[in-house]
Amino acid sequence: MFAQQLLNGIVVGSVYSLFALGFTLVFGINHVLNLAHGAVFTLGAFAALYAITLLDLPLPVAALLAVLAGGLASVLLDLVCFRPLRNRQAPEFAAIVSSIGAGLILTSLAQQVSATQVMRFPFGTFPVVVWRVWGLRIQLLQLVIIGSVAVIVVALLLYLYRTELGRQVRAVAISGRTAQLLGINPAMVFAQVFFIAGALAGAAGVLIGLAFNSVHYVMGEPLLLRAFVVVVLGGMGSIGGAVTAGLLLGVVQSLSVAYASSGVADALIFGLLFLVLLVRPAGLFGSGVVAARVVRA
Amino acid sequence: MMNYLAAYRSLLDLVLINALLAFSQYVVLRAGVFSIATAGLASIGAYTAANAVVSWGWPAPLGLLSAMLLATAAALLIAVPLARLRGVFQAIATLAFVQLVLSVTQNATSLTGGALGMNGIPRWATTPILLGAVTVALYGLWRLGRSWIGRAFDTIRQDETVAVSLGIDVSRTHLLAFGLSGALAGLGGGLDAYHGYSITPDAFGFRLLVACLTFVVLGGRVSPWGPLIGAAILTVLPEVARPFRDYALLVHGALLILTITYLPDGVADTIGRRIRDRRLRRPGLAHAAPVA
Repeated sequence: MFAQQLLNGIVVGSVYSLFALGFTLVFGINHVLNLAHGAVFTLGAFAALYAITLLDLPLPVAALLAVLAGGLASVLLDLVCFRPLRNRQAPEFAAIVSSIGAGLILTSLAQQVSATQVMRFPFGTFPVVVWRVWGLRIQLLQLVIIGSVAVIVVALLLYLYRTELGRQVRAVAISGRTAQLLGINPAMVFAQVFFIAGALAGAAGVLIGLAFNSVHYVMGEPLLLRAFVVVVLGGMGSIGGAVTAGLLLGVVQSLSVAYASSGVADALIFGLLFLVLLVRPAGLFGSGVVAARVVRA
Repeated sequence: MMNYLAAYRSLLDLVLINALLAFSQYVVLRAGVFSIATAGLASIGAYTAANAVVSWGWPAPLGLLSAMLLATAAALLIAVPLARLRGVFQAIATLAFVQLVLSVTQNATSLTGGALGMNGIPRWATTPILLGAVTVALYGLWRLGRSWIGRAFDTIRQDETVAVSLGIDVSRTHLLAFGLSGALAGLGGGLDAYHGYSITPDAFGFRLLVACLTFVVLGGRVSPWGPLIGAAILTVLPEVARPFRDYALLVHGALLILTITYLPDGVADTIGRRIRDRRLRRPGLAHAAPVA
């Protein structure tokens, strides 16, 4: 029972990590809290579902399509919501409000398209293969989820720390102006970061949609709320922190749901978030110092 | 004419309740605190008010008073630790507070009726009472805005370092803003409970939080007319434009983006500034005092 819940927690937690990675990336580099990230996640799940049900595409192609859709939607988000504010050097409050607006628009569209219904992937989209190892029930889907998250995270780390483009991204994260003096175009970097964040959200959408076999228009909201917990626990903008905290959150949640109730799980998680913010705002895994950028109007 | 008014009376009531919640959000934003706790505080107010009448048999006015007191106490309680945080971190912490309240109200079944909520709350908050509450709140906020407190709020919002150098006690002012926000949210939530016959935990979740924020962003963050105008526009709009009703959220979202991008001060403050500029340009009035 315990080992089974641990496994389930790690599977869900790895998807939380994937989702929160994009969120924390955008925060670390653009210093923007993108509250529309949950809606991009929903969009990814929708794209994959419709690609399979309406276009009869195989799952890998549909997943790729979802990743692309998430990435493009996220870039569009940057162009419409954040770039005008960035050019005006508006306070961070403005960007948050704008992203809430974008999230509402996307969620509302998803609601109209799906007619407020909970949709499922058709039977046989993913082969149901189950192994029993020492009384543990392991599904092929679970392994695929953990595997694809691991591959994506490694690819992201390689991109950020081993390529020229990644170097540019990190330079802009430290100081946009200095990076510009060195001949880096911040607009391109921002577009890249938003594309990656959206693509990660889209991938997370497909994986969560498959794992629970349920796709509906508000599925992004609980994930967004959990992403807050993940990025605060892991430290805003920290990649390793987001991965660790995501796994931790998944395990804590799945154990407390199993041994108590889902209500207790929520209270525990958000109580933890509140506590960590008060005691250690830089996060459990972040450095001891946090730059509180207070910009107001 | 009277029939026409009667038909829209429930809409007016809704505008008034929303305006109170918008006031609660407005107070903290004006003081430069990015708290989005209003939904959670309103939930505390609503459940206190409902329990006072339904479970404990108190008279409604007493229930309303206790709703305000409890919500204020809750706001002050979270304000003390929140004084350490700024900006985005304040927003996330208060969001966590709203979620905490939501999960407590969903699970403390004996006190809140769980996910089904509480029913059979007698309607006490009639239109005149709501109108009275909004008028008092508006007048109070207007007077407050023109006093030293309002000036302290404005200074802290614009530049905290300057505020400190001017001898303004930032944490005490923030505490005051939080307390006021709690009282107004408690009032709004309590009146909501006494108006709608029933309350559910979900009504005080993320959706309400976004709505309150939208009211203030659209209306304006400096003049107390702002939240009232914002609440009025956003409550009436989906009703008047019936075909858009299914797309109410979409309209909300588009308005948020358009307002923050092209009208960052909100409707009321932009109009207020226009009027003030015109008045100042008139000869002989060059030294007219600026209007808050």
